[in-house]
Amino acid sequence: MPLPRRLLVANRGEIAVRILRACRDLGIETVAVHAPVDAGAPHVCLADRALPLPGDSPAEGYLNRAALVEIASRCGAGAIHPGYGFLSENPSFAAACEAAGIAFVGPPASVLRMCGDKAEARAAVEAAGVPVLPGSGPVDDAEVRRAAEAVGFPLLIKAVGGGGGKGIHLVRSPDDLPGALRLARGEAQTAFGDPRVYLERWVERPRHVEVQVLADAHGGVVHLGERACSVQRRHQKLIEEAPAPGVSPRVREALLESAVRVARALRYRNAGTVEFLLDGDAFFFIEVNARLQVEHPVTEMITGTDIVAAQIAVAGGAPVPFSQEDVRPAGWAIECRISAEDPHGGFLPSLGRIDGVIEPQGPGIRVDSGFRTGCVVSRHYDPLLSKVVAWGRDRSEAIARMRRALAEYAISGVDTTIPFHRWAIEQPAFLRGTYDVRFAEDWDGAAPSQEAERLAAVAASAWLRRRAAAQPRDGHGAGPASRWIAVAREEGIR
Amino acid sequence: MNFEIRIRGQAQAAESGDGVLLEPLAGSECWTLVVAGRTVPVRVREQEGRLLVTIGADRVEVGVRRASASSSRGPSAQNGADRFEVRAPMPGLVVTVPVAAGEPVRAGSVVAIVEAMKMQMEVVSPAAGHVEEIRALPGQEVAGGQVMALIRVPASAPDEGAAR
Repeated sequence: MPLPRRLLVANRGEIAVRILRACRDLGIETVAVHAPVDAGAPHVCLADRALPLPGDSPAEGYLNRAALVEIASRCGAGAIHPGYGFLSENPSFAAACEAAGIAFVGPPASVLRMCGDKAEARAAVEAAGVPVLPGSGPVDDAEVRRAAEAVGFPLLIKAVGGGGGKGIHLVRSPDDLPGALRLARGEAQTAFGDPRVYLERWVERPRHVEVQVLADAHGGVVHLGERACSVQRRHQKLIEEAPAPGVSPRVREALLESAVRVARALRYRNAGTVEFLLDGDAFFFIEVNARLQVEHPVTEMITGTDIVAAQIAVAGGAPVPFSQEDVRPAGWAIECRISAEDPHGGFLPSLGRIDGVIEPQGPGIRVDSGFRTGCVVSRHYDPLLSKVVAWGRDRSEAIARMRRALAEYAISGVDTTIPFHRWAIEQPAFLRGTYDVRFAEDWDGAAPSQEAERLAAVAASAWLRRRAAAQPRDGHGAGPASRWIAVAREEGIR
Repeated sequence: MNFEIRIRGQAQAAESGDGVLLEPLAGSECWTLVVAGRTVPVRVREQEGRLLVTIGADRVEVGVRRASASSSRGPSAQNGADRFEVRAPMPGLVVTVPVAAGEPVRAGSVVAIVEAMKMQMEVVSPAAGHVEEIRALPGQEVAGGQVMALIRVPASAPDEGAAR
């Protein structure tokens, strides 16, 4: 099946821009949609056509399934790319596209449903012979000890109806089990009105490794290697890299083979990510992310592929455009997510108008960005501004280039995660490639170095002097610039 | 203008002088600090009367206090009144001075018009009061920062300048 002539991008920000670029490369006409506040956003300006979404609410529009299908039909788009977030893993949206004769660039509704049900996916994966984290079903007081021995210590007691960390208790030894069980049941009853609990193996300091797969409607499944994503905060990834450091060839081979097995077991289609936890050399399936992922560029950089282009081809019914033998990873790639958050203030969102930006450039640097000078960072959307990806022939070259890129990157108007990244890539555990999911806990944004304090004092006094010189009237009345303009206009009238 | 700079409550010796430059880099907050021949990208953000200076991975909170009275204040405050100096915003030629000594002015009233590079710019009074003295005449060349007029303000008048 040929590529669509026209494609609608049902997203915003950096990922919408990324998808538009793939379409440009493929000669596909693009349609952007936007909420009122995004009227002049980069994804709108880059598309061939841009249409407003109905409604005044900033977030609602991008989630309006009926409106998106209607707009796509009206402007003759043969495909919709949902990006990530919003409707990307929504089975009924995928079904609505299909019903309207529009190719949904992602897995079919049945696969999205399966991947969204963690228990069902886990059972299918386990049946396919891929290790999952040892766990139990709901346990009663009489059988808990036997179930616990089967799961192994340390373990977690979790509420069946739970969420948000409530009712979770860590149990390190059999002696602690009865007390912890009593507490967990009580909390589960209070918080969720359901006293049922189950057990799950606790991994102390796991590493997060995931495998990119691409699958087509003809039974073809190809993996594009793995990514390491252990630099996280509150389960949000901050830095990703490919390949994964500190993984032996034997474990890597087993991971990649398992990921393909998972894709086949779930009858997966399009691009997806199979996530694993690594504990030493043991690994356990966690879940499948049934979408294009934020961190896909690191895989593109080492494999020389365009995952978005492959997604669009596969969605049109084509086989995966390359074979497993064609995938020959080369070099190393690292991605830092640049978000409008204050790393010195608990990573709280930083809102404001961006009044200046210098993006890094040069050899080995790719910046996927969805903002520009003049953009307002509002509370309505994800704080991700851009991604800096550094490629090198080896890991140390990639780190050196990332160091250079982060030093060049200047964003004025909001706080960003750049200072965190500058810290992270200098840490011994990161440089050695031995970091795990608790790495980011060591970030202490509160204690600046003496040298930084000395330079800050110099910068502050220079800044104050400069401002004093620029405001001779001590801040009263209009600034010089506005006066210039006013007088110049009057001169023109005369 | 003199400032007292404090980090973690401790006054800092403000290194200054010819070796220190702050060059604009991006927007209103990103600069290149040049100190003793070394260049450092910095971000300076003003927030609630303090400066947040980001250097590399570090952020330093800098407290700021005027070490002396505002420089645009006159040195004396006699008879319960206060004076503001109106300074030339740039070097140029004085085109007109539409006010005379003794006249009342409002905040924002034009005290003089200066011309440079074939463009004219208004120089305004920072506060309501009376013109105490005119120190620039039409046709005169003035230097940037040169005092062009003194405005006398009653002490009871709201003083917007003090908080800035």
